[in-house]
Amino acid sequence: MGAIHLKLIKWKKLLTITLASALLLSGCASSTTTKPSSEGTTKKEEVQPKEGGELTYALATSPDSLDPHRSGLAVAVRAFRTIFDSLVVQGSDNSIQPWLATEWTVSEDAKSYTFKLREDVTFHDGTPFNAEAVKYSFDRIIDPKTQAKNAVALLKPYESSEVIDEFTIKINLATPSSAFLSNLSQAMLGIVSPTAAEKYGDQFVKNPVGTGPFKFVSWTENADIVVEKNEEYHWGPSNVENKVVPYLDKITFKIIPEEATRIGSVQSGQVLAAETVPPQNIVSLNNDPNQQLLQVNTIGLPYTLFFNQRKEPWNDVKARKAVQLAVDVDAIVKTLYLETYSRAWSPLTPGILGYDESLENKNKPDLEKANQFLDELGYVKGEDGIREKDGKKLILNYVDGTPNREKRNDIAVIIQQQLKKVGIKVEINITKDIASVVQQKADYDLYGNSQVNSDPNALRAFYHTTTPEEEALVKRLGGGSDPEIDQWLEEGTVELDPAKRIEIYKKVQQKIIDEAWIIPIYVFPYTVAASKTVNGIKFDALGYPLFNDVNIN
Amino acid sequence: MKEIVNEETVLRVPKWTLSKRKKNISFSNIFLLVAIVLVLFIIASALIPKWIAPYSPTYMNTESILSEPSSKHWFGTDYFGRDVFSLVIYGSRDSLIIGITSVLIGSLIGGGIGAVSGYIGGYIDHFLMRVIEILMTIPGILLALAIAAALGPSLMNIVLAVAASSIPGYARVMRGQILSIKKRQFVDASRSIGTHSWKVFVWHILPNSWSPLLVMGTIGLGTSILIGSGLSFLGLGVIKEVPDWGALLSQGRGYLVVGWWMSTFPGLAITLFVLSINIIGDKLRDTFDPKTSRMR
Repeated sequence: MGAIHLKLIKWKKLLTITLASALLLSGCASSTTTKPSSEGTTKKEEVQPKEGGELTYALATSPDSLDPHRSGLAVAVRAFRTIFDSLVVQGSDNSIQPWLATEWTVSEDAKSYTFKLREDVTFHDGTPFNAEAVKYSFDRIIDPKTQAKNAVALLKPYESSEVIDEFTIKINLATPSSAFLSNLSQAMLGIVSPTAAEKYGDQFVKNPVGTGPFKFVSWTENADIVVEKNEEYHWGPSNVENKVVPYLDKITFKIIPEEATRIGSVQSGQVLAAETVPPQNIVSLNNDPNQQLLQVNTIGLPYTLFFNQRKEPWNDVKARKAVQLAVDVDAIVKTLYLETYSRAWSPLTPGILGYDESLENKNKPDLEKANQFLDELGYVKGEDGIREKDGKKLILNYVDGTPNREKRNDIAVIIQQQLKKVGIKVEINITKDIASVVQQKADYDLYGNSQVNSDPNALRAFYHTTTPEEEALVKRLGGGSDPEIDQWLEEGTVELDPAKRIEIYKKVQQKIIDEAWIIPIYVFPYTVAASKTVNGIKFDALGYPLFNDVNIN
Repeated sequence: MKEIVNEETVLRVPKWTLSKRKKNISFSNIFLLVAIVLVLFIIASALIPKWIAPYSPTYMNTESILSEPSSKHWFGTDYFGRDVFSLVIYGSRDSLIIGITSVLIGSLIGGGIGAVSGYIGGYIDHFLMRVIEILMTIPGILLALAIAAALGPSLMNIVLAVAASSIPGYARVMRGQILSIKKRQFVDASRSIGTHSWKVFVWHILPNSWSPLLVMGTIGLGTSILIGSGLSFLGLGVIKEVPDWGALLSQGRGYLVVGWWMSTFPGLAITLFVLSINIIGDKLRDTFDPKTSRMR
């Protein structure tokens, strides 16, 4: 009897726990519907920015490196933009303005730039900023021993630097480059302290020293990055109001990959700001009286799916077209992003020079035509509804990374269903090791990527034919090659007249879409959820956050 | 005098105890019945989901994403516009496959090791038990996690991971059972008339020692489904067209605030199934356990 009694209590306990958790969960849900909408009740007060305080800012992924030259991730830029300054700055109107360089002249053949530098700048470690430091930084990027990443492509066609006097430097290019000044404004071409870079060598990645408004303090892998204000700072760029020492004492970048946790930590006050708000939370945040939502469209290359043209049958334009016509991108953007992200149409995002608006609404999903293309290729539907040819099933190997950033894995799930309708079987492979699967082995049929960039010349790194040596190092996404596109991309780099460049890049965009090299999916809006006590988060021309003006009430 | 005696007897066996005892038993029977019905329903869902689910689990209705539970969608729809009820029904198959196959593999290997170890004894027993003890120092979920992470995502690997994590338990129980049966009189009797030692093992010891394993396996089924779901929840499962319960739970995690139904119902399915299996396992233990049956 005793045993039965005890057991009953155990069951009761279990039941109570189950019921309690169910109630708790439904309680969560009802709170969203009963929350009063109090938007627009907050008053903007003009007060003197408060000095001091610490900003905690949650990042969605872990940066790969804090050495600007050796980084390939946008999330890293968000952190090291506070530590490094650039020679010039790009305004919101895309004009180039002085920063560490006060003025510059361009030679007649457009192959050399002479910069006059600021004379009152010092690095965080006390090293004086001068022409030698600039020369050191740029030579460091092209030195293969540095193993620089995105910075190499940005600095191209850099050849050499000449120190004219202590604060004058002449930079020589191999060919003219219309994107050069704009690229110089990017944080990945930031100026590093020569003494620190020499001292730390490979460890500079974890000990960055620059001239920025904040000094590096510590980096705990997968946990946080801490920077503190630079008391000497008085050389702020034109896109911020506070050009001297920042108001904040400290910024702690916390790495919180789990999106629900990240947004939850802002709402519970554990962090003051968090980046990359999931679409389903944007609505509820807008109704929250204690939170604000900041949003800015990034420019560069949108999130794009690349066909691997090294693989059969994706080397055939008909097969690629079939997929392009079978994928309903509108449905993806609408379902997953609840229309908070806008759909991409071209290899470039709106807002960048040369963006071709005529591509918008051009490609409509057309299952009939997609089926027709696949029929023409000789793929016949088998009993299971999957097409096959010579006994080989038509399988598309869709590779994506983890964690599920911006719901990219879910795009794969939708495309899997959409392509089933035309008889293509999609196998989704989620891997942690993108570097090996995609960049080294190129073992995929479809893989998506995006890039933040300031100039359409960014297309060159993605769509221009690569040499076997370059391929041996990193396999270019998609691997497509076309002499006409190559030629246009080369012209686009050296052409100085913006009007002509626009025409060139329009041709490039059209051909890439017509040849169905890619399927553009969405333009990523950079979103930040922040407590209302945080003022002054600004964004630069590329959509990276700036913290010079930030103050906490 | 008579009256006093009568009072004493009444005191010794009070009326309320009798009635409560009766009630308890019927309560547990109702629970058992509900549990059996639920388990049968879930097994049916795994076998013939087509007849139970109102929609196809892969059908994405982009017109009604994230809609609340209603008469049209009993459990609501997820962010793809799929019917959550249908997903839970179809998702039961993979969850059950993970549970049942991993229990079978785990109990066969674990039971085998335990039986060999217990019956042969000596150095082999020593060696095998030390290996099992080393495995036991690692918590089951951690062991499964490590194995799944090392082997990579696939259904078979999850099964192996869950099975491996349950082996030590089965081995210990089987060994203990064999050790106690080995010393019983009927075994000695059989041996004394010259039966071959292998025959003694197969004819007398094994049939008398497998029942605890059956009970453990039933309860282990719940644990295995739980660990399997845990692994898929953590993203170590496979991305399949039809996600299992753990993967469903994980998908709904980011939507708790705007769509509580997305992870609540798969979560309830896991909870109720594991609870039911435990209730049935308890009953089985009562039936097979000599200690409790003697108490009655």
